Amino acid sequence: MVECDNAITGTNLLFFHTIKRLTPALIGVGVFLLVGAASLAALLRYSDLPSWVGYLQQPYLWRVVRFSLWQALLSSGISLLIAIPVASCLIHRSFYGRSALLQLFSISMVVPTIVAILGLVVVYGRTGWLSHILGVQIPLYGLVGILLAHVFFNMPLAVRLLLQGYDLIPAGQWRQASQLGFSRWAAFRWIEWHYIKKALPGAFVLIFMLCFSSFAVVLSLGGGPKSSTLEVAIYQALRFDFDLNKASFLALLQVFICTLFAVVVYRLAPVNRQDASLLAVRGYALKDSWLAKVADGVALLCALSLVIPPFLAIFDPVFSPVFLSTLQSAALWDAVLVSMKIALPAALLSLLLGVCFGVLARFCMDRPYLAFLPNKIEHLGNMILMVPGLVIATGLFLTLRDLGLGLQSSYWIVVWVNAVMALPFVLRALMPVLYQQERRFRNVYLSLGIYSWARWRLEWPLVRKSVAQAFGYALLLSLGDMGVIALFGSQGLVSLPLYLFQLIGSYQLEKGACVAVVLISLCLVLFYCSSRFIGGVTARVKN
Amino acid sequence: MLKINLQYDWETFHADYCVDIPPGVTTLLGGSGEGKSTLLHLLGGFLDGRGEIYFNDASLLSLPAYERPISTLFQSDNLFPQLTVWQNVAVGLSPSLSLNKEQNQKVQWALDKTQLLDKAERFPQALSGGQAQRVAIARALVRKKPILLLDEPFSALDPSLREEMLYLVNDVTQELGLTTLLVSHLPSEATLVGGRVILIEQGRITAHEDVSVLSETGFHPHFSRYFGVSNSGER
Repeated sequence: MVECDNAITGTNLLFFHTIKRLTPALIGVGVFLLVGAASLAALLRYSDLPSWVGYLQQPYLWRVVRFSLWQALLSSGISLLIAIPVASCLIHRSFYGRSALLQLFSISMVVPTIVAILGLVVVYGRTGWLSHILGVQIPLYGLVGILLAHVFFNMPLAVRLLLQGYDLIPAGQWRQASQLGFSRWAAFRWIEWHYIKKALPGAFVLIFMLCFSSFAVVLSLGGGPKSSTLEVAIYQALRFDFDLNKASFLALLQVFICTLFAVVVYRLAPVNRQDASLLAVRGYALKDSWLAKVADGVALLCALSLVIPPFLAIFDPVFSPVFLSTLQSAALWDAVLVSMKIALPAALLSLLLGVCFGVLARFCMDRPYLAFLPNKIEHLGNMILMVPGLVIATGLFLTLRDLGLGLQSSYWIVVWVNAVMALPFVLRALMPVLYQQERRFRNVYLSLGIYSWARWRLEWPLVRKSVAQAFGYALLLSLGDMGVIALFGSQGLVSLPLYLFQLIGSYQLEKGACVAVVLISLCLVLFYCSSRFIGGVTARVKN
Repeated sequence: MLKINLQYDWETFHADYCVDIPPGVTTLLGGSGEGKSTLLHLLGGFLDGRGEIYFNDASLLSLPAYERPISTLFQSDNLFPQLTVWQNVAVGLSPSLSLNKEQNQKVQWALDKTQLLDKAERFPQALSGGQAQRVAIARALVRKKPILLLDEPFSALDPSLREEMLYLVNDVTQELGLTTLLVSHLPSEATLVGGRVILIEQGRITAHEDVSVLSETGFHPHFSRYFGVSNSGER
């Protein structure tokens, strides 16, 4: 009996210590959920449910939904179609500039939207490079422009997601393929496709959601109400009509459609997991052919022609005489300061939230009764993609207003919303490496009694590159934010993208282009610093 | 005859292999980290070394893995988990898996020889360790490459199953006239398969003898050192 009591006391003590160690992570995830729920609840308090039936009967709404779905499906489909051969080529070919291309891909998916749009206009616009060189006119304002911008942002993201899928292929399979004389096509058919088809649904859902809730691209390149999306309609309802009822209805409709879409795709998707392999990854040569070379060349050329020209176009104004005078403008440096004041805390907050999610998911991984949770925890963090940032920001604003904190809280709202909007990208960078450490060292940790900070200290050399990447993504996304800041931006809170948007809006295009150069340069410098100082001297962009 | 004169450097490990290996089974003995698997990886074309490899007077060193007259069986990762047993064997004949009648018969023969015909439609996950390695042997059989390299493929199997596999390897080697190199830690395995035995120490071949040397009362000096070290458990 005494032994039994001791056992119970021991179990209780263990439970107490476990909870104590998890407290910071639980608080982090709890705050994330609480703020999200409070924001939605605040918005719903201003809703008038009976009037929602009326909205459902508006043809305009269905046109917006149809267009949102159509452009998102096309954008994600095209991005993935290009990304599949490009990822395969990047895995099999080593060529001069390959790692630079991967770096470019990692940046282009988080390049400030407004800057990329400017680059696209310079390349594909009426008087753009394409028109000058080839005499080809592209109807940039409308579906084509939206697709071009979405593919510019998401094709590199798709490539990187597929490369993560390639990481799951055991090296032993490449060794066998090399021994058996597989051609590129045979290797794709029998090995690669088996793994990337499992990565495709996740990539498709992520890109679909990003495109479905696309705001700045549609606002800038939509070309009018004919090409509007739900996110833009929400912005219009909030910014111009301050119709909280309509905004909350549209937001819930967006969440519903995204959830439905994600559920359907994930139900059809096969489970993705690493097959057991004892072999360290290294390259094994496959049988090459001129056909494979041509196919790789075409895929690479296609990707490069979509990504490189807008990037080059962004830097075009460096040689303009306006550039120096723009650099001397006080408004520019004020905007730089505001951007930094928003982006740095937002990125740090996003990273902290990501770590909290990671700690909880790791804790659940190898406990049989909690083994179903890690995926759910990750999905919880990704769910933010379904909820429009504008809606969270407005809900948060209403909550804080009810608590007696008015407009003075807008800075923190912008910081928080940017942090949570970057969370899915932070999780993508962090989670695989955290899971890997847990699998590798769990038994050693348990046998030696190593917990919490001691684990982090031991693992830091192994995870710092991923932490740097996560921080870099969050930093760039927050720097380039044009959604929340467009809603809350005011005198004294004008970030670089908003300043740029204002310049374009007042037809100061040349000056705007120069500001875009500053913004993209700031992004590149900060991303480099993040990789260098957090990731370490040898930090490279992970595949 | 397989003639080997190979050098390979990796960090502080320097290997220099020089030996002529006749057809039949040759067991490579040696402690962990002495360079047995490295030799097999160099022969198989999975590592780049310097020097020469000749098989029946044809140079192999410049050939990629898939053009060498060699089939290699590894300790793990020999099968594609996404392909069935039949496909895993057939892929050795035609990577596109489009087989003609004769090739189909060959696959059938190999599966029959390895007693796997009734498992042809199964996936590797549904097989035992021994069955999975038999699939890999069946694939080596259909490829009809004159050199067979075995990098401890049976080390994870229980003793009786391992014995069964070694008999199968021996039969196949004799029947098809192969040059088979088997990496092992266990002298008893070398005795079981017969043929010749090579001792590898610190990346060098220090002995190359008939397997009978292992059962002689007065040990060969190099082998006696190897057994002494093995027995004391220092390695």
